[in-house]
Amino acid sequence: MKSEKKKFPDMIQKETTRRGFLKGAAVTAAGGAVAIATVGSIRPKVVEAATPVKKSVLRYLFAERQNCTGCRACEYACSVHHTGVVRPSIARIHIFKFQNVVDVPIICWHCDDAPCIEACPTTPVALKKDPKTNGIILDEKTCLGAKCMKCQEACPAEFIRANPDTGNPLMCDLCGGDPKCVEACLEQSGNPQGPCLLANKLGFGVNQAYRNVTPEEAGEDLMGLLFYPNKTGERRSGS
Amino acid sequence: MTAPRGGYFGKILEIDLSRQKYKTREISDDECRKYIGGAGMGGYFLASEYKAHHDPLAEDSFIFIGVGPLNGTYCVSTRTSIVNMNPYTGLLSHAEVGAHLGNEIKWAGWDGIYIKGRSKNPVYLYIKDDKVQFRDAGKLWGKTTEDADESMRQEIDDSYARTAVIGPAGENGVPFAAVIIERFRAAARTGTGALMGNKKLKGIAVRGTKAVPVEDNKKFYQAAKAAKQLAVDKEGWQGIKRWGTAGLLELKHWVSGSLITKNFQTTWYPDIEYIGGEEANRTFWKRHVACNHCPVHCQKYGVIREGKHAGLIAEGPEYETGGLLGSNLGMSDFAGMMAMIELCDAMGIDAISTGGVLAFTTECIDRGVLKPGDLDGVALKWGDADAYLEMIRKMAYQDGKGGKLLAKGVRKMSQEIGQGSEAWAVHVKGKEIAAHDPRGDKGRAYSYALGTCGGDHHEGGSPATQARWGMLNSLVMCSFVGGYPWGKETPGIFTAMLNPLCGWNMSDDEYWTTGKRIITIERCFQVREGINRKDDVLPTRFTTEKLPEGPKKGAIFTAEDTKKMQEATYSYFGWDDNGIPTDKTLKAYDLEYLVDDVREAKKAL
Repeated sequence: MKSEKKKFPDMIQKETTRRGFLKGAAVTAAGGAVAIATVGSIRPKVVEAATPVKKSVLRYLFAERQNCTGCRACEYACSVHHTGVVRPSIARIHIFKFQNVVDVPIICWHCDDAPCIEACPTTPVALKKDPKTNGIILDEKTCLGAKCMKCQEACPAEFIRANPDTGNPLMCDLCGGDPKCVEACLEQSGNPQGPCLLANKLGFGVNQAYRNVTPEEAGEDLMGLLFYPNKTGERRSGS
Repeated sequence: MTAPRGGYFGKILEIDLSRQKYKTREISDDECRKYIGGAGMGGYFLASEYKAHHDPLAEDSFIFIGVGPLNGTYCVSTRTSIVNMNPYTGLLSHAEVGAHLGNEIKWAGWDGIYIKGRSKNPVYLYIKDDKVQFRDAGKLWGKTTEDADESMRQEIDDSYARTAVIGPAGENGVPFAAVIIERFRAAARTGTGALMGNKKLKGIAVRGTKAVPVEDNKKFYQAAKAAKQLAVDKEGWQGIKRWGTAGLLELKHWVSGSLITKNFQTTWYPDIEYIGGEEANRTFWKRHVACNHCPVHCQKYGVIREGKHAGLIAEGPEYETGGLLGSNLGMSDFAGMMAMIELCDAMGIDAISTGGVLAFTTECIDRGVLKPGDLDGVALKWGDADAYLEMIRKMAYQDGKGGKLLAKGVRKMSQEIGQGSEAWAVHVKGKEIAAHDPRGDKGRAYSYALGTCGGDHHEGGSPATQARWGMLNSLVMCSFVGGYPWGKETPGIFTAMLNPLCGWNMSDDEYWTTGKRIITIERCFQVREGINRKDDVLPTRFTTEKLPEGPKKGAIFTAEDTKKMQEATYSYFGWDDNGIPTDKTLKAYDLEYLVDDVREAKKAL
């Protein structure tokens, strides 16, 4: 519904809106509805754009792996949101191609016990969870970067990668509660199987075990699930 | 020399395999604007660096793996273009291929990779951003493309690198060997596999971490987003998303009357229901797969679930592979056809040429011109997948008398066999044609006969679409994105993206002129190699035999049609009656440096 409304959204404009929105983040989330009221004084333009919308706060990502087409629109959207240009190497979410046959979207699980934050050795801790959105926020200044990467070692999803420029870990902040990757995945409409990325599906009715696997395990799982007769994924014609 | 402002890095990676060295070659904004990239840039390098009658397998022959300005940006569905002088036909050839390799090259900071020289021992290249490693491929040599690809990625320990490899066919010098990109996509039709085998280059792995410079980010983003939305919404193209190009198999049988059948004897093939898109959907497909940022996801991967090929994972059928290795070989065994498609990928051999050669040979046997004894006892017959599979393997390894004979391709085979076999030898300029019968689909005749490379299906259905293809192959864009490359949206939709991206002010006129320039430069190269009007014709089968049945029953490609087609193209591009670009045309397109060469070729007529 949302994506239909703005078929040609001006991304740059929208981004400013969001940042402004976060800056004056005296926002309440009650019963899944977000009321936007207190941003006006800093940026008058923002008030115009930010008419009150009902939106649930998204606290987890969920990837229906079978539906991924490997188009990497999520990587594109993630890097555009965070840096303004397309650059998958700094995208938080990324697509892992397993045996060149299946694509595994690798997402941050936003674990409730957050092993990455636990592992962070700095004081004050460079990583923290946004209590509202559940996104992981990195303090680039405090982070020890390439010489530490304890968070990367701790991550059960093998999600954390290093920023090729700064060496700091790339963390998923859930775009302040409105993940761009989910939006981009929806926009690649026409996928007969439906979008792969969803938000807020964790918990009720969804098997927790579905997420607690490494990328390789997920790849093998997918191979077995989709291409079942051949568990090793080997082709027979070449031999 | 001004460096490009956006869309390009202005750098080509030049690799010398003989000395295992690499360096940067700079390209100027002017060159970028004149030749765009991909096929156009490759054509420019070929025409300006080679003298006439260059040996395609010489040590200094090069392979250009090119990308365009839109690669690596927000623009959807960008591809990779491979350009070289084809050892198979001796002419310039370019192949455009999907998957993610092209964008990875761009993100590594290059506008293309130019590979020359010849290594002493098998090597593969690992390119990560500015760094190039020459790695020993001794262990990979002899492996199928899939195994080589997997071991290569494990060895470099970079699961995000994108790859291109050759298989046994390329190593053994089969002239129509292909390069296989990321296991399932083939850059075929250029003989690049044979050239890489000759250079002892087993493969390339590329990984990039940079971002493409953009001149006006906001404007470009808006234009690219609007173009993407068109690809998402356009109604006529939803079928491709659901069915891939396999859906065309049924369509061309029932409606267009252009489904090639049994070496182009007819276009009516009711058995298509056993091997077409519907059958694939029922029994084979498992997932839809997309190239870079593409909302169309036309690739379909599937698995054979029962029978002797059970467990076989393959991509397709696509229209070309399903046509050439399906209906053209009289197949009604879906699993057998998929095994053939898969084997062509594994061996790294062009499925189109392979299908053409096998069909030609089968007809030769039917007509008693060849005996199974000539083919090491392999009795090829329509619909017999096992015999075909064995023969494909023999071709790839150039094994025995049969394998060696078939690996020569249709033109040379018919010359050797004689006995009137020219009448059913279907090739244009020495290359087997793709899966659209030009009697049923007359537009394709332009692509086959007047497309610069010969026999290819991606070169236009009229003079104007040839220019469109010239641009599309140089921008290295896919033609399936919402159909806008074919509609009135072009060129507006492209200039709206290019201008803010590169800081240009390209007008519609300039867009078309650039397209014409690119086609003309390719033509100049072919003209130097002795191509002229006499070569711009279809195989005799299409001009002498009427379609015996089907929706286009009785259709034939007349001499009148040929003449009309040639004249339309020559006058559109400003070439003379012999199909040779005139001095005036060359000057108008800023190609003065080719005037002498072309005059020389004209004299030799």
